[in-house]
Amino acid sequence: MKKYIVKRLLWLIPIFLGITFLSFAVMRLAGGDVVQQMAENSGITLSEETLEAQREALGLDQPFLVQYLTWLGGFVTGNLGKSYVSGQEVFPAFLSRLPATLLLAVTSVALTVVISIPLGILAAVRQNRAADYLIRLVSFIGNSLPNFFVALLLMYLLAVRFPVFPVISTGTGWKSLVLPALTLAIAMSAKYLRQIRAAVLEELGKDYVTGARARGIPFSVTLRKSVLRSCLTTILTLLSLSIGSLLGGTAIVESVFMWDGVGKLAVDAIRMRDYPVIQAYVVWMAVIYVTVNLITDLSYRLLDPRIRLGGDAG
Amino acid sequence: MKKRVFSRLLALGLALTVLAGCGNNQETTQQKTDPSQEASAEKKTFVFGDTTFNAENGIADINPHNNSGGWACIRYGVGETLFRLTDSMELEPWLAKSYERVDENTWVLTLQDGVTFTSGRAMDGEAVKECLEALADTHVRAAGDLHIQEITASGQTVTIKTEVPVPALLNYLTDPYGCIIDMEAGVSPEGIVSGTGPYEAVSLVTDTSLSLVKNENYWNGDPRIDEITVRTISDGDTLTMALQSGEIDAAYGMPYASYPLFENDAYTISGCATSRVFFGTMNFESEITSDPAVRRAIAMGIDKDSFVEVLLGGNGYPATGVFPDNFSFGGDSVTAETYDPEGAKQVLEAAGWVDADGDGVREKDGKKLVLRWLTYPSRQELPLLAEAAQDILGKIGFRVEVNSTADHGRICADPDAWDIYVSAMVTAPTGDPEYFFTYHCLDASSSNDGHYHSDRLEELAAQMARTFDTEERSRLAIQMQQTILDDNAYVFCSHLRMSMISRANVTGLTAHPSDYYEITADLDIV
Repeated sequence: MKKYIVKRLLWLIPIFLGITFLSFAVMRLAGGDVVQQMAENSGITLSEETLEAQREALGLDQPFLVQYLTWLGGFVTGNLGKSYVSGQEVFPAFLSRLPATLLLAVTSVALTVVISIPLGILAAVRQNRAADYLIRLVSFIGNSLPNFFVALLLMYLLAVRFPVFPVISTGTGWKSLVLPALTLAIAMSAKYLRQIRAAVLEELGKDYVTGARARGIPFSVTLRKSVLRSCLTTILTLLSLSIGSLLGGTAIVESVFMWDGVGKLAVDAIRMRDYPVIQAYVVWMAVIYVTVNLITDLSYRLLDPRIRLGGDAG
Repeated sequence: MKKRVFSRLLALGLALTVLAGCGNNQETTQQKTDPSQEASAEKKTFVFGDTTFNAENGIADINPHNNSGGWACIRYGVGETLFRLTDSMELEPWLAKSYERVDENTWVLTLQDGVTFTSGRAMDGEAVKECLEALADTHVRAAGDLHIQEITASGQTVTIKTEVPVPALLNYLTDPYGCIIDMEAGVSPEGIVSGTGPYEAVSLVTDTSLSLVKNENYWNGDPRIDEITVRTISDGDTLTMALQSGEIDAAYGMPYASYPLFENDAYTISGCATSRVFFGTMNFESEITSDPAVRRAIAMGIDKDSFVEVLLGGNGYPATGVFPDNFSFGGDSVTAETYDPEGAKQVLEAAGWVDADGDGVREKDGKKLVLRWLTYPSRQELPLLAEAAQDILGKIGFRVEVNSTADHGRICADPDAWDIYVSAMVTAPTGDPEYFFTYHCLDASSSNDGHYHSDRLEELAAQMARTFDTEERSRLAIQMQQTILDDNAYVFCSHLRMSMISRANVTGLTAHPSDYYEITADLDIV
């Protein structure tokens, strides 16, 4: 097991080098740079000398490889550099946004679990009956609506028409959290509902359920102790994928609600070609996905002893 | 049976959970003021939502020496400049009470008495000297504009010597970078500075918010609001709903589509034309736009009125020349081609551009009348203008190929890659006309992307560079505009209407053509 974990963590090195290099290259291919973007935003025309002086100050006049290696050298020594746009140190700026992203991710996952698991089970248990049709219809609608639209809809209903929650998240107090978390939870629940329903239905069709019923074991016990446990790997896979993307921030929801998380930071950085911030984000995403996938794989084994991991001997 | 009971219990539990959550929410929101709210009940507070207060606009903080931080410093009433611009964009003294130009390179400014920074330090000649020296050392654009050689101070007097004659020096001092701040107090790690304005900054989080309190010792009036919060709200829809819900009292940067929601008695809209103009630069290296007839046809083929009224929903002003109406040398002081599609067709016919093969696109000497329209998407108006031109010019016999790209800066440097480059810029940020021509239209201009040349314009520009008299500069500005318009070297489509929307009980929040002055001592909630 230890060997397996170490091996997976070592994979981080080539992954990290590959994606940081690729992201650096792709941003270069996209054209434009932060100096030009900022001049464009201000609407003030600057002389070519001024623009070049600004590029030189940021090191943007250097060849691509030199810029990448300079960044890499800084990273290895623990220096992620300064944002080209705000001039602030990237690492503390990034860290300061993480709690907001973590809070939003955890809350929306919790809400998703609360909504999708009971409803998914209900739809399966009441297959092809009114409750099932209704839940599937709601799931269909939820899947069809883009996140930003759900966000605006919730905002209009629950902040403007019936002012229960604030439009702008202030970052303090649970009220600020409700609408962004609910927006994310609605989208995820709509997706999970159907998958949980399918997983439960598959289990319900198996012989052991029929056998349990024949032996007079209450259905609720079979559902809770056998069916649900068997479905947990499916649910866990879904959650792990979501947690990965949620920890990377949800740029649209964060932007709409002014939620100060890393997703918004990353999108702003991409728009402005703020390379140091983009690179920090890319590294963070690599760490998240490798870690979450590793934890998920380890959890599979705990949930289902039949599953063997790559490093296991037997 | 048990299965049914279980599923019903499950649904009931879920419903109760949701209802309990809702009930709890409502209960909490219905709870009235807590003690801290009661304590602040007597205080007047104001929340301002702004889409532009962010690092990507160069406004990471309110330090006027850092990039465009001066815009926030002056807009939100923290800093003030030595001179300011009037509603007709003319100069008037502010922190300076008078000036004298000793020779072409020497200016003596006399400062107001009794002005103090929020740090408590008196604003005297020495403080201004320190501030301007720091500005010239750290702000590349300011250094290039001001050409400061030496500053000396004595009491309330400051003498500025420039390396070369700078006729527009006082105009440059109205730029937000010229906010006078206390350099002894310095700049906090968050980017907070100590100015002389009606409000004092107490906290700042980049891209999030700025908190201000009343400057009790303000020299030029009695600020009426006790606490102000400026909130960065990047999303237009969020800004709209924040104003609708009453979470903010006023907004800057509202999307055009939201205006109808606020055109009623509950809100006040204050707007005016700014010198930010949407305009096309013709490429004189191109086989197509080097033809004067083609340039004239383009100028006649753009329906500026419809663009402003329909596509911008009335949130703009059709442009004639470089500067809007509220400038003494702007608006109707010059003439340009007007919308006349039939006339444009005749101009092209007369120049030999005819549609011989009947495909709807004119040709001349075997070359199709294809117009490569280069623009960029970061300003919402520009792609709209491109689409409108594609339609209208198409009816005249052009085939317009739009390239709307973030990489326009690189492409426009290649004269073989485009025919017309349509962009947006502020043409007179400090009220002086020289800036636009210096950067765009002359042989030595850094942004003369279309390689335009006019002997007359060069001559007029040289004259302006030597002219200190404001009226004479205005007269020259009119002649220079008319020269480029007669050559159809540029097509000016519309000027941006800058607006602020506030709740009806907000007074003293008035749009200014410079786009600089927003929160002032006049701001109040009644």
